[in-house]
Amino acid sequence: MKGWRPPAPFLLLLPAIVVLAAVVIIPLILSLYSSFTPFRLTQPASLYTFVGFRNYARILTDLEFWTAFGRTVLLLTVALNVEMLLGLGLAMLVEKATSGQRLLRTIMMFPMMFSPILVGFQFKFMFNDNIGLVNNALQSLGLTDQAIPWLIDGTLAFTAILVAEIWSSTSVFAILILAGLLAMPKEPIEAARVDGCTPWQTFRYVTWPFIMPFAYIAMTIRSLDVARAYDIVKIMTDGGPAKRTELLWTLVSRTAYADARMGLANAMAYVAILLSILFTVYFFRKLAAARTQIAAEW
Amino acid sequence: MATVSLEKLVKRYGAVEVVHGIDLDVADREFIALVGPSGCGKSTTLRMIAGLEPISGGNLRIGGKIVNDLPPRARNLAMVFQSYALYPHMTVRENMGFSLKIAGQKPEEIAPRVEEAAKTLDLTHLLDRRPSQLSGGQRQRVAMGRAIVRQPEVFLFDEPLSNLDAKLRTQMRVEIKKLHAKVQSTVIYVTHDQVEAMTLADRIVIMRDGHIEQVGTPEDVFQRPNSKFVAGFIGSPPMNLKDAEIADGHVVFSNGDRLPLPSRFRDRVTAGQKVTFGLRPDDLYPAGHGIHSGEDADVYRHDLRVILTEPLGNETLVFSDFGGAEWVGRMLNPRRLAPGEALPFCFDLSQAHLFDGETGKTLRG
Amino acid sequence: MNENTKARLNGLLLSAAHKIGLFLAMTVICLPGLWIVLASFRPTVEIMAKPPVWIPEDLSFDAYVAMFSGVGQGGIPVIEYFRNSLIISVTSTAIALAIGMAGGYAFARFRFKAKSSIFLGLMLTRTVPGIALSLPLFFVYSKLGIIDTHFGLIMAYVALNVPFTIWLIDGFFRQVPKDLAEAAQIDGCTRWQAFWQVEFPLAGPGIASAGIFAFLTSWNEFALASQLTRSVNSKTLPVGLLDYTAEFTIDWRGMCALAVIMIIPALVLTFIVQKHLVSGLTSGAVKG
Repeated sequence: MKGWRPPAPFLLLLPAIVVLAAVVIIPLILSLYSSFTPFRLTQPASLYTFVGFRNYARILTDLEFWTAFGRTVLLLTVALNVEMLLGLGLAMLVEKATSGQRLLRTIMMFPMMFSPILVGFQFKFMFNDNIGLVNNALQSLGLTDQAIPWLIDGTLAFTAILVAEIWSSTSVFAILILAGLLAMPKEPIEAARVDGCTPWQTFRYVTWPFIMPFAYIAMTIRSLDVARAYDIVKIMTDGGPAKRTELLWTLVSRTAYADARMGLANAMAYVAILLSILFTVYFFRKLAAARTQIAAEW
Repeated sequence: MATVSLEKLVKRYGAVEVVHGIDLDVADREFIALVGPSGCGKSTTLRMIAGLEPISGGNLRIGGKIVNDLPPRARNLAMVFQSYALYPHMTVRENMGFSLKIAGQKPEEIAPRVEEAAKTLDLTHLLDRRPSQLSGGQRQRVAMGRAIVRQPEVFLFDEPLSNLDAKLRTQMRVEIKKLHAKVQSTVIYVTHDQVEAMTLADRIVIMRDGHIEQVGTPEDVFQRPNSKFVAGFIGSPPMNLKDAEIADGHVVFSNGDRLPLPSRFRDRVTAGQKVTFGLRPDDLYPAGHGIHSGEDADVYRHDLRVILTEPLGNETLVFSDFGGAEWVGRMLNPRRLAPGEALPFCFDLSQAHLFDGETGKTLRG
Repeated sequence: MNENTKARLNGLLLSAAHKIGLFLAMTVICLPGLWIVLASFRPTVEIMAKPPVWIPEDLSFDAYVAMFSGVGQGGIPVIEYFRNSLIISVTSTAIALAIGMAGGYAFARFRFKAKSSIFLGLMLTRTVPGIALSLPLFFVYSKLGIIDTHFGLIMAYVALNVPFTIWLIDGFFRQVPKDLAEAAQIDGCTRWQAFWQVEFPLAGPGIASAGIFAFLTSWNEFALASQLTRSVNSKTLPVGLLDYTAEFTIDWRGMCALAVIMIIPALVLTFIVQKHLVSGLTSGAVKG
């Protein structure tokens, strides 16, 4: 060991690795272990009973779990795609604006500052069937004469959650894509116009290939943090009514804290973690490829 | 027929007017160069012709038809950009065929036209590369190839050579000239480099502050500049332009040095008038080392002290002091000169220019 | 001429559509927030009114007065929550920044084995959903007796913020040309001095915005805080928001007022950093 000096990057990364190991990795290993036990908070001794894959086997056959799983994937797929499209549209609207750019950009970032839990409350308030802004507006405009049970009907509640989620996260896409639009060299676009492109063709053949990595950055950032939807759902419906908006995360939370079945909850949580990792790795790959392409060509 | 006419063309950004109602008629197949210092409005004018900038006033006709509000794609022109503006994510082949693809042509129609243009520009071996894998000169040729594949009625060039090094620039200048001879399209070429304009253009348009200063053939603008500005802009090294005053048949400079007033200006000036005197370096040379023999009647001889020399091989630029300012002369068949050396110089006054001291307009009849 | 008129008309139509689209989008973005602010100034009767009262008739600071008037008189311990939030967010941000700067610098300036895998690995720790992490953390923390303490939450937030801070700071350091630090070293600086004298000041504004981003994450976090805190000892504002909900009723007005209190610091900070935030996230995309 004498004379061995650890390489500089290792030393520089050490604090990060230590903290992440202590707060994330070790607890996760613990939870991995406990997912193989029938651990209940109320019975500490149960932590030492090993049951193998029984929790996982139970999950596999648990319809409630798979419904929540499917719903979560559906929510993420719809939300991410819609956010991306709206974000793109919003970014292009703002980029085209001839005046007030600064103000528009600031307003555009507005929803990012809202804590997800605030977003949840905000939309719970707005979608309230009795006093909510949405129903009040619909009724005052004469579009409907009865209170629409936004958060009480399963499908409507899912829609309401989607709206809240999309409202809160579209701006992530919008600012990153706007950054791409602003970084883009103008001449290729002009060349395309002179070459005979319609605005749509210009976008399709020239703008979009350049913007794509920025969309992937946004996707990656979002996928790092998809679970923030938990806060929104927790407040808006808490998985209700009758578990019809239950997502993986609310199910985990209920199983662990309300039912106190930690072992089972940890097994579920592992599935949720795997799902998150899958999303992230997928977009990271895409992002890396797009980045090298842009760096090499533009 | 692709004539291009600018009629009182105006460009305004908000309250600021940058092009002040310019008039210009470009004939079919003519090669027109727009020159001027940066900020003179030449690029803006070109971009209005291309349809990339909205026109604020006046009319623009291409082939006789008013196209003021038409988008670029409806004007049938091609443009070569300063930065080349190649599509980085497409190969050379795709770049060159892009406009045809957009126009809805079939791949089998596009291929031969791309091949042919590639052959003309010596790009055949590069067709499957990406722009990022090409050198500056090659990119420049691809940009031109993209333009000629379209077979447009009008070619627009926006400072196409300014990102190349000096040697390549000279080479590409020749290429462009050959290309024009071959494709026979109307060309409007923007540059800040007067040498490019002189060597390429049928007619040169010199712009300044959003106005046209002079339109004419290269000979016109070189030999008969309308204004002090044009005189100083065209020619390299630039014309010696020195402020002076007219007094008893002489041009008198600030320190009292004087030159005889050339006879053809006698009726045009009055005593005491402020003028700018102009003499090209070619017309100021050490005796025996000039373009002319130095024996003509209008040649004024005067001893000057050499401050500095720039030997260029076949000639030497000689800087010397006269009239309280520095003058540049051109010495042919040069011999070595030492700074501080005094020798007789010829001022060929038959070639001299006089401009009004206030307006800067020429005082030639 | 006809063609020109048509083209011009088209342009006018497009620009009108653009303006309308922009206006609608901005309205949708602003409306929910404005509605909350408005509701916080209205009496509960008006919020609950049927048919709805659209034009507020009675605006007052009552909700804010009530909120600060202490537990028992319709208030909540908002000052304690605010203090907890502030202490926890500021401390965890400072630590996360220090760690993130070291890590970000390593990624920006050194080549080492498995660099991209290590980067991805660090990012992946961030993908663990807060609620999934809260289960084992809850268990570990109760064993260590740091449930319901500032320290516990600070540690959790440091871990939460480190990956993203590294990403951002890596981007900012990459924007500082390598030559500068090398020039400084030729001028006689050690690598350490070169960092503090040259690279750090240049990346400074970016690092500050990474800090603000970390601050906002901690300030807004709910999933972990809701499990790891119990009492006024360590409850943060997002958790405090739940104080306004009872089993079946919600004090909308009070909640809106607390929401306004929560959002104001976030608003101010985000405005300050918006420019740098975007450039840090995207610097890698345009410059490799």
